[in-house]
Amino acid sequence: MNTIDNIRNIGISAHIDSGKTTLTERILYYTKRIFAIHEVRGKDGVGATMDSMELERERGITIASAATYCEWKGHRINIIDTPGHVDFTIEVERALRVMDGAVLILCAVGGVQSQSITVDRQMNRYEVPRIAFINKCDRSGANPRRVVRQLREKLNHNPVLLQLPIGLENQCKGVVDLVSMKAFYFEGRSGDEIRTDEIPADMRDQAGAAREALLDAASMYSDDLMEAILEDKVTEPLIRDAVRSGTISRELTPVFVGSAYKNIGVQPLLDAINSYLPSPLDVQNTALDLDQDERPVPLETDARKPVVALAFKLEVTPYGQLTYLRIYQGAIQKGADLMIIRTGKKIKVGRLVRMHADQMEDLTTAQAGDIVALFGIDCSSGDTFTDGTLHYSMSSMFVPEPVISLTISPQDNKSQDNMSKALNRFTREDPTFKSYVDSESGETIISGMGELHLDVYVERMKREFNADVTTGMPQVAYREAITRQAVFDYIHKKQTGGSGQFGRVAGFMAPSSEGTYEFINEIKGGAIPTEFVPAVDKGFRSCLEKGLLVRFPVLGMNITVNDGKAHSVDSSDMAFFQAAVGAFKQAYMKAKPVILEPIMKVTVEGPSEFQGNVMGAINQRRGIITSSIEDGAFTTIEAEVPLAEMFGYATTLRSLTQGKAEFTMEFSRYAKVPESLSEELKTTLREKSRGDKK
Amino acid sequence: MIPFSSVSPLKILEKSSQGALGAGNLGVLIARAGVGKTACLIHIAFDKIFSQEKLVHVALEEGPEKVMSYYSVIYYDLLKALGITDDYEYRMRIERNRMILAYLNQSFDLDRLRNNLKNLAEGLQFTPDALIVDGLDFEKTDRKVFEGLKDIAQEAETEIWLSALSHRHITEVNDHGIPYPCSQIDDLFSLIVQLKAEPSGIFLSLLKDHDQPGFPDTHVRLDPNTFLAMV
Ligand SMILES: Nc1nc2c(ncn2[C@@H]2O[C@H](COP(=O)(O)OP(=O)(O)O)[C@@H](O)[C@H]2O)c(=O)[nH]1
Repeated sequence: MNTIDNIRNIGISAHIDSGKTTLTERILYYTKRIFAIHEVRGKDGVGATMDSMELERERGITIASAATYCEWKGHRINIIDTPGHVDFTIEVERALRVMDGAVLILCAVGGVQSQSITVDRQMNRYEVPRIAFINKCDRSGANPRRVVRQLREKLNHNPVLLQLPIGLENQCKGVVDLVSMKAFYFEGRSGDEIRTDEIPADMRDQAGAAREALLDAASMYSDDLMEAILEDKVTEPLIRDAVRSGTISRELTPVFVGSAYKNIGVQPLLDAINSYLPSPLDVQNTALDLDQDERPVPLETDARKPVVALAFKLEVTPYGQLTYLRIYQGAIQKGADLMIIRTGKKIKVGRLVRMHADQMEDLTTAQAGDIVALFGIDCSSGDTFTDGTLHYSMSSMFVPEPVISLTISPQDNKSQDNMSKALNRFTREDPTFKSYVDSESGETIISGMGELHLDVYVERMKREFNADVTTGMPQVAYREAITRQAVFDYIHKKQTGGSGQFGRVAGFMAPSSEGTYEFINEIKGGAIPTEFVPAVDKGFRSCLEKGLLVRFPVLGMNITVNDGKAHSVDSSDMAFFQAAVGAFKQAYMKAKPVILEPIMKVTVEGPSEFQGNVMGAINQRRGIITSSIEDGAFTTIEAEVPLAEMFGYATTLRSLTQGKAEFTMEFSRYAKVPESLSEELKTTLREKSRGDKK
Repeated sequence: MIPFSSVSPLKILEKSSQGALGAGNLGVLIARAGVGKTACLIHIAFDKIFSQEKLVHVALEEGPEKVMSYYSVIYYDLLKALGITDDYEYRMRIERNRMILAYLNQSFDLDRLRNNLKNLAEGLQFTPDALIVDGLDFEKTDRKVFEGLKDIAQEAETEIWLSALSHRHITEVNDHGIPYPCSQIDDLFSLIVQLKAEPSGIFLSLLKDHDQPGFPDTHVRLDPNTFLAMV
């Protein structure tokens, strides 16, 4: 069973409360990783195995992504836990990167909700094939057909039912498998015993029609199946192969049904993971070759090639730091040397382990396609490991800029130490979470993707690290940008005792339409000697960290240097660096800088009766509504709203809609602060920065 | 830069008696599947949006994401055709003047539309000058619904453009030369435009022009890729 095509690296993605934890626990139970089923947040206080952190349990959400291993019918399945919460964008994205396929859990009552839409969009971006499981068919109001329609209409999938539920709501008894045309019932204390039977008589017509629909849909992906249908020689393997190719090419979403809680349909879902989701061999992965200007290069899922692996998750355990790795190419042996590409450091593989739900298994070797963990390695999440012969990096991963920050201060010395430990840990785990000490105010500042993102880390700091901290008001991460061209011609000259400093830099700055920094060298006749040009570039670059308008970072510009002057004795890197800084200061305000603010894409979903209220409230927050979707009794409103206006929105929305609506938001882009607000904002921000300096 | 009016499919209306559909009126674009109804409707939408009129796009078959992606494809074709390089102002106009209302899972009905328009007006001060209704199944829609749409057009002082799907195998045409599926309800429409694919290109012709018959024999020829009028 040690072949790569029997590996499944999968994620389970779900809207909060659709039953991800319950389903995961059932999977671990049927694959004999755990030996009893606890109710989620059950009275026995044990909770499901994957929900490791106390905080998660308390909030009822899964924040961290871990991987756990299990085996099912000759296949090795790594379950990569995907956070359902959208504020944790980077964690979701990193998990998506290492999974080859996913199970999308949908609640038979709630259907496709706004968070599923966000996560689904991300899955599209990472091209993750998925199958859907409609859970909670036992709940009153369960309507799997409606959920299938939503898959098509809201998520743009091409869903096809592979099963039908036998009975719904409290009549939910089992499932009809449309491939074998059999009924399955799950008996015994925890549904361990599967009884296969004929399809109930009253469901035969319905099952026949659903089978027709399945054959129709599947035959699009297999000529063999198409032929077999015409000749009336359809076989189960033919259907499975067709569905598999449709799924892997992401043109088809097979849909399964059941109830995790009532132990209905979980084992067939495991069968489906084996049958329809891709193995590592079915997926093309690429790395960036740092020796070739980050050119994308394909990786081969082949144990004999040089190693390339990605650290996608760090965890602290009583035994030291645990680094989760996905091996993309080659094999890793215990005792081997690896190189961390970012730092160039060599490390030795001490312990190589595989994480089971309840224990660790020590390995001597692991190969391409595997997900394993290393102990005691000093690295960051997102780091690429190779054997040192390849200079590849996996991390072309899209890392959004933090949009919000706040000051954080420890209450005593012990908390100070603990806070540092915590920050050190978090910044390694999550590249979108940053922390630094402001050089002017001396305060520690943390920044991230939203209010909740920072909240959770502050909470973790208190709970896991025992750091007693207080926080300041959240601050929006504004940016500055220039809006027109301005010239500079600056001489930096200093004569102090011995050798002096001299450098002249001339040229112009211009807005960058892409929001990036570019240095354009048009110096003629060696007016600035080549050796000093990098110092000029560096000087300008350093100025972008804090603009002169309101002391926020400058979102790129094009700098063209076309003239200058050097002195045979007094010129140096230092002198030209300073000259560039002087030139920047000379031109910047002339280039009419403006303040930019982060604009968030906000999606609000709730009962239709609240459409008017929700729209009004977004409008008041300077939001622009782009669309409104009516579906059944629900309305989803999509809008772009400045982050600065989103503080306290959760509370407002709750009171506007009696808690019946929910919202998600993600960073969209930076946009100019409207004229009418920018004067006041300038004053506030300037006062604040003056205050910080004191 | 070329003015939009010179390439807009709405050029067809230059020849019409009133030059426009007009508030309170319904207009329909008839075509067979795959000819480009949606593209043509979106051009009508841009015509409104770019002249700073407010537009509501009502989608009955697709979610906003799809609709927006249709708009952006056509938008980039337009920029190219018109030779616009700095499009900031145009993007702002789209942002300010376009609203998409999608109705999934048969959730469209007149009361809901009325209510949504009311919310747009009250919550956002967004009062449309035109509505585009794409994807209404004329064969399954009762005359009452069209009458209701006409009422809405009059109440909201807006014009409404619809698209209707015709079929190769149904050749029914009424006395005034109006084809299926509009042959029984042509009295409700002020403008009826037909989009036809012929071997020599795509043609737009005016079948009904307010109180007058149209002139089905004069055409505007459209570029089959961009649906822009060819000169
Ligand atoms: N009726 C019913 N309840 C379920 C089912 N699966 C989960 N639940 C319940 O739904 C709630 C949320 O489940 P949980 O697994 O924590 O969801 P998660 O937030 O997606 O991890 C819990 O109270 C579960 O007991 C199901 O199939 N049927």
